[in-house]
Amino acid sequence: MPETSILSDEFIRELINVGEVDILVGVPTYNDGRTVGQVVQAVRAGLLQYFPRERSVIINADGGSRDGTQDLVRAASISDLSVTPDVHALRTLHSISTRYEGGPASGLALRTILAAADLLQAKACAMVAPDSTAIDPSWVERLLQPLLHDGRDLVLPVYRRHKFEGLLIRNLVYPMTRAIYRCAAREPYPADFAFSGTLGSRFLAQDIWTQEQGRYGTELWFALSAIVEKAKITQSFVGAKTRFETGPADLVKAMRESAGVLFASLDANFAAWNSPREPLEAPCAGCEPTVSLEHSRLNRKRLHQMFAFGVSELEPVFLSILSSHVHDELKRLAKVPEESFAYPEELWVRTVYEFAAAYHKAVIGRDHIVQALVPLFRGRAFTFLTENRDASAEEVESNIESLCNTFERERPYLLEAWDGRK
Amino acid sequence: MAAQDGLWYKDAIIYQVHVRAFYDSTGDGNGDFRGLAQRLDYLQDLGINAIWLMPFFPSPLRDDGYDISDYRSVNPTYGSLDDFKSFLDAAHQRGIRVIIEMVLNHTSDQHPWFQESRSSRDNPRRNWYVWSDTDTKYKGTRIIFLDTELSNWAWDPVSKQYYWHRFFSHQPDLNYDNPQVREEMWDVMRFWLNMGADGFRLDAVPYLVEREGTNCENLPETHSVIKQLRERLDKEFPGRMLLAEANQWPADLLPYFGNGDEFHMAFHFPLMPRMFMGVKLEDRKPITEILKQTPTIPEPCQWCLFLRNHDELTLEMVTDMERDYMYDEYAKEKTQRLNLGIRRRLAPLLDNDRRKMELMNGMLMSLPGTPIIYYGDEIGMGDNVNLGDRNGVRTPMQWNGGWNGGFSNADPETLYAPLLLNPVYGFQATNVASQRRFDHSLLSWMKLLIRVRKSSAVLSRGSIEFLYPANHRVLAYLRKLGNETVLVVNNLSSKAQAVELDLKPYRGNILIEMFGRNIFPRIGDLPYLLTLGPYQFYWFRLRRI
Repeated sequence: MPETSILSDEFIRELINVGEVDILVGVPTYNDGRTVGQVVQAVRAGLLQYFPRERSVIINADGGSRDGTQDLVRAASISDLSVTPDVHALRTLHSISTRYEGGPASGLALRTILAAADLLQAKACAMVAPDSTAIDPSWVERLLQPLLHDGRDLVLPVYRRHKFEGLLIRNLVYPMTRAIYRCAAREPYPADFAFSGTLGSRFLAQDIWTQEQGRYGTELWFALSAIVEKAKITQSFVGAKTRFETGPADLVKAMRESAGVLFASLDANFAAWNSPREPLEAPCAGCEPTVSLEHSRLNRKRLHQMFAFGVSELEPVFLSILSSHVHDELKRLAKVPEESFAYPEELWVRTVYEFAAAYHKAVIGRDHIVQALVPLFRGRAFTFLTENRDASAEEVESNIESLCNTFERERPYLLEAWDGRK
Repeated sequence: MAAQDGLWYKDAIIYQVHVRAFYDSTGDGNGDFRGLAQRLDYLQDLGINAIWLMPFFPSPLRDDGYDISDYRSVNPTYGSLDDFKSFLDAAHQRGIRVIIEMVLNHTSDQHPWFQESRSSRDNPRRNWYVWSDTDTKYKGTRIIFLDTELSNWAWDPVSKQYYWHRFFSHQPDLNYDNPQVREEMWDVMRFWLNMGADGFRLDAVPYLVEREGTNCENLPETHSVIKQLRERLDKEFPGRMLLAEANQWPADLLPYFGNGDEFHMAFHFPLMPRMFMGVKLEDRKPITEILKQTPTIPEPCQWCLFLRNHDELTLEMVTDMERDYMYDEYAKEKTQRLNLGIRRRLAPLLDNDRRKMELMNGMLMSLPGTPIIYYGDEIGMGDNVNLGDRNGVRTPMQWNGGWNGGFSNADPETLYAPLLLNPVYGFQATNVASQRRFDHSLLSWMKLLIRVRKSSAVLSRGSIEFLYPANHRVLAYLRKLGNETVLVVNNLSSKAQAVELDLKPYRGNILIEMFGRNIFPRIGDLPYLLTLGPYQFYWFRLRRI
């Protein structure tokens, strides 16, 4: 029985028409009609301004939008059929769209775009989030230039974020990745990033596409894979990261896609991170302060309540995951009133490491392990918000750095937990 | 030659040659008319049916003959008027028409007219040129030879006034506001027409008249001069032809056709660099865009298309972005650049890639217009940028691998220009004799191309309709004339391509490939799928059988 192709015949016909390219910009979408038009127009402007001579294509992998998203992407095409008087382009720019099966899932979108890049022999690929409304044409240059002219393999973004945004990245994914894989990439789970065609093709060949990390959190898996294989990584400061708000974030989903994928990566790459390893450089081009301080209103009270409720409610689960020492500390914390509550760095790091070890040993269902971390993270988030409520940008950076150091210092704790000595 | 068909220029395949560069019959190191006549069999065998002769008049040769000092004679170096007449008759006997160059805009400063004009301010010929007490008139006029000229005015120390020149300062512009000048220049043209010349390539026509407050190009007064010449030509010499050299945008060129009462033909300058651009970008966009901007011209008129000529590959009619791209891709060496252009021949421009040369010549012969082949390009001659100005693309024709490449019996030191000697383009590697030996040589292929082009009037006189397949690396168009339709498909890419063509209106036709006459599948309801190798092109005749 022939193997089913992930690319439709119609899409392949479009790829034939595009032919070999130097640059491919991928835009994964699902009902992003309110923002994607602005994003692809910025991408187009960036390609015309910074890479007018390169053969380029914009490819949209859509998860089944019903809001005209695909048409907005296609409208960015430049050809001799559609003359736009104010657009001066040396060559044709195809902007094509395909709908992948089984969506929406960002991993499937990435896989579709990787497959297209592989077929088109793209030298450099950039992925751009459809809701990156702060994007301007310079993003295209900042993401692609290091690949095309400096021979880098992977370009990760550095954003300027509000000090209370990206809490999961700042409290878990970034410091843990830095400590375990010894690579100080600020955004290892990127929404906007770029990679060489060869790195993309190697990733496409990985046997992950039937697994969970092939559907969600795939971008994190990608970055971690590049770190594991010691790819040449660089970071580019692109500016502010603002997203079009679509409603409250699903923290369980976010935890699955970030911590879940990170834990899975640790499990799959134990030999790589356990062996003596030189730090993997990830220099940052054009980096500027990454913390912004605009006024923000957050409901910390609810975070505290959900932490306390979670510690109590999930006690049977924690008994399987956590050491008695850590578990006891958490139970004690759950009784501390909001005004004096603080989830200390060291306890948070040990908690996370014990969760990672439990995931490795699959003491219970792995998805349950990841979900159980959610209320505990809320406690840590409460502490982060409290500690940094009146902090300057420098102080926020200093606090994040302190947490990173704790993750680093507690690395032996993870190893002990990993092989069952805890 | 009988003017049995007044539209002969539409079916012409023009060969551009400089008498000096083609064949030396006297052994003095310069080509001449007797030599050119001796090589007419070669040109007839090539298949061309018109020759465009670059200036052959007496001249100090400070601009390769475009600085004429006597309009009614032949430069003695190239022979005599009788030699010219003999050549003309011999060409006509072979069915080859002869178009001669006429430099209307300016003369040499050595021309007796100018010598008289400058001799004193009250000389009767003073007003034959454009004089001024200041060099500030016509400020809005661009300088064409940017590399050598700082102003369009030059000081004459003899009569102590400035004179106007759009090109080199030794080429003063004639004053076309003077009726005597207009009368005299028509008389010059009549002189050559009476001898049998079939047409004129009129040099630098946009610049004939000057007016304050304008850019002194394409002025209505200039068009009046041309209309008057055309009227006299049609009246006294029907069937003869005027070809305009006007390096302008398509919309600005349209007036040069008038209502069919100015030029018969005009060069399509903006198309030429875009053909090179399209092949380098592997994208049809530059070509289709400029042809979309090209206006419809009166029915008796025709565009003249060329790939290379005796000048630099001009980049005046491109945007700054396009010019930078062309320089970076086609003139990486600074020495290859001249003015706003690139002084290189076709083969070196195309990396001596036979596939690209075939593709470019294929487009030259299939896009709407009369094609011009620059001498030597049919065998892939190279250039020599070390010769200065544009002389590097004007070296002697390479006939064989023997003494002086078969061009001349003179001592090599006495040749008007040195032959190419390098191992790729030198005369021992690239010459007519060696390419005549093989059916697959570039020369043999060019003969085939010309033969196929001439096999159907649709390619010379037909309309064009672009197909715009989704694959932008493929340039496809239909040429139509009456009931005949030819499909042309060009792969501009260095890689093989698949393309689907929407040929539904021609459902039921079969395609006949015009070079091999092989049959391709019948057009059905589905898009017609073709695959093309790198730089490959097809010409198909559509037939309903």
